[in-house]
Amino acid sequence: MSDDGVLARGRPVLIETERFNLRSLKPIDASERWLGWLKDPEVVHPTNAPVRHLSREQLSRYIAGFDNNHNYLIGIFDKKSRIQVGFFYIDVDTAHDTATFNVIIGEKSWWGKSVVNEVRAPLLDYFFDRLGMAKICGGPLSRNFPAIFNYKAQGWIYEGTLQGQFKSVVDGSRLDQLRFRLFADEWRTIRQKGKPQ
Amino acid sequence: MSALAAARQLLADAIGLDDSAIPGDARIGSFERWDSLAHMRLLSAVEERLGHQLDPDDITRIESLSDIEAVLQAAGVE
Repeated sequence: MSDDGVLARGRPVLIETERFNLRSLKPIDASERWLGWLKDPEVVHPTNAPVRHLSREQLSRYIAGFDNNHNYLIGIFDKKSRIQVGFFYIDVDTAHDTATFNVIIGEKSWWGKSVVNEVRAPLLDYFFDRLGMAKICGGPLSRNFPAIFNYKAQGWIYEGTLQGQFKSVVDGSRLDQLRFRLFADEWRTIRQKGKPQ
Repeated sequence: MSALAAARQLLADAIGLDDSAIPGDARIGSFERWDSLAHMRLLSAVEERLGHQLDPDDITRIESLSDIEAVLQAAGVE
């Protein structure tokens, strides 16, 4: 750790919240449950990801590609059942101290139960305070209403819309992407105000 | 039906409450029953009411009962 409290990068993430454990995933975490999410249009299409029929080995190789430095793959595990309910994939620009957060809750039984903001709050603390990020962004599609709700409920700032940024994997139409952001001081202000998540 | 009454009804239906249970200051983050799935139902219902998809500015604008009212008013719902 440096003098200003910033951690050396490359360390796995390990965070506990009220209902969940978060940790950097390892190739051994590739599971049939996760493979099932990748095959489910309701899970993957809100992020414009295609349905994929991967093998466990292919998923393991994908997980192994994350280095906890330039990119992170962090699992969300229900404390009670120990079942993985989703994951974050986070890209970091180490030259500019910025990160882009993406999250998927694969377990539909957890949808609408405030998982994302419960687990994202301590992750934001970690990336700002421990890893020294200056700015963190999120980019939901404009039709991903639950994700947009979560950004707004957590106090993220809407920066603008990238029109027609992506081609739909479903029908080839152009999709708009919204941009939300938090600077470190904005997040600390939200924390100080005691906003719930 | 006024835009405010219509907004209150749409939010109540999305949340699964009687419209009399929707506080006038209902807002994302401070009204617990307004969760992510209710928000999805709400925006879909607003679009159905208006007969067209919301544009991204309206999608990001809606975070309170009065915002829903404003979007409906702008679309001509009196």
